[in-house]
Amino acid sequence: MRDAQSFDDFYRSTARRMLRYGYAVTGDHTEAQDLVQEAFARAWRQWGRLGAHPAPEAWLRLVVARLATDRWRHLHRWRAALSRTGPPPVAPPPSEDGVLLVRALRQLPAAQRQALALHYLFDMSVEEIARETEVPVGTVKSWLSRGRSRLAALLPDLSTVELEANDVS
Amino acid sequence: MSAELSDLYRSLATVADGQELTNPELVRRRADHRARTRIAGTAVAVALLLGAVAVGGWLAIPADGSAPLPPPADTPGPLPTSAAPRPSPSPSASPPPSPTPARSTSSATPEAPTTGAAPPRQPTSIPDRAFFVLPSANRTGLESQVEGPALPMLCGARHPSDSAVVQRRGRYLAYKRPETPAGYVPAGSYRHTITIYRAGRADDALRELRQAVRDCPEQKLADDTRTWRQRVLDPGRYGDESVLFEMRAPYPDGMGEPGADEVRLIRAVRIGDVVTVLWEQGWEYTAAERAQVDADSRRAVAAIVAWLE
Repeated sequence: MRDAQSFDDFYRSTARRMLRYGYAVTGDHTEAQDLVQEAFARAWRQWGRLGAHPAPEAWLRLVVARLATDRWRHLHRWRAALSRTGPPPVAPPPSEDGVLLVRALRQLPAAQRQALALHYLFDMSVEEIARETEVPVGTVKSWLSRGRSRLAALLPDLSTVELEANDVS
Repeated sequence: MSAELSDLYRSLATVADGQELTNPELVRRRADHRARTRIAGTAVAVALLLGAVAVGGWLAIPADGSAPLPPPADTPGPLPTSAAPRPSPSPSASPPPSPTPARSTSSATPEAPTTGAAPPRQPTSIPDRAFFVLPSANRTGLESQVEGPALPMLCGARHPSDSAVVQRRGRYLAYKRPETPAGYVPAGSYRHTITIYRAGRADDALRELRQAVRDCPEQKLADDTRTWRQRVLDPGRYGDESVLFEMRAPYPDGMGEPGADEVRLIRAVRIGDVVTVLWEQGWEYTAAERAQVDADSRRAVAAIVAWLE
């Protein structure tokens, strides 16, 4: 029997963080909402089992990341076709740093976006990210390093002074 | 950089926080509703199959025993080819599209497989009308031209017949179930390719594919820790000859139903010197459904036969 009250409590305590994460890995408000709702829907369908999971929020992040990767893979080709013929994207006001970051993130591979989001939004260490994504520590370091370098190239106003010293911290 | 990037992520979080959060009760209700819809959809498919058997041949049952072609979900009669989305023609690869001849597809008479007779002419380029059109109830609007491989990796097998390719065009096409309301995510997607081979070489492509699947019962794919298992299935009667195989792997945690496998179906059909491949790739880890792939395979064959006539 699934306990609706415990699910609702879990939802209320984690949905905001999950929405930030979804936004960081998809780069799109609507998609983030779709993915996060889909992830919570899957969580509810398995809540009898998941309610006793030692780390249900980590499970949820994994689902969001997998859904985002899959959707990205599919939509990327569709968007690529549209971008050749469609109007140019609307430029955000320069003050909207978060929006500028999201635009830059869209040009990074999914794994790099995921690693950066786990590090900067959830304060996770390289080792913790490696455990969550089930890849070697060296791979996570590479994702973070390449992701930061690429962001530095895409966001030229950012200082790159600390990049060399901290690029795999 | 790191400190500034932290600031940017804080800004991103602030932007994300501006979004409305759905009520958890609504999330639960939608999840339960979708689960019920899925069960109801399965029940309808079984009822259709039993009904087809009960009327004793009103619908043709394929020789392989698979489900019959379901009625086109929009309207009977000729397919509305002119109003449907088509892959963008490649300026360098194909001539301007020509008018599509009406086809005699109806809800009660599935397209008959071609009999093995060679098409009347050797084609040299692939027009838009060679690509089949989904029934309106299956359309999602997600369709685009794609390049790249027509087939999944099979233990690194190479296909020597690729040297005999005259032209290949491909598209990516997402579909939904007829009962799925607008606005929901698609039920699955295809990588759909059409390839013209030099005269007499298309059968090499299918022979190589059949062998490649048999030689690759298991494999690991890039960026995937799972072991995928491949096997050739009874292909049914499609075109002059066809190959159908499945790829199967356990769902990653959180995807699909617990204990279920993710299944991909890939069908290659030869019609004369032309081979079309439907590679079902799912959507957010959905599993391929044989009845849908069979129905779309018949549509794919019918469109190519109409083009070659």
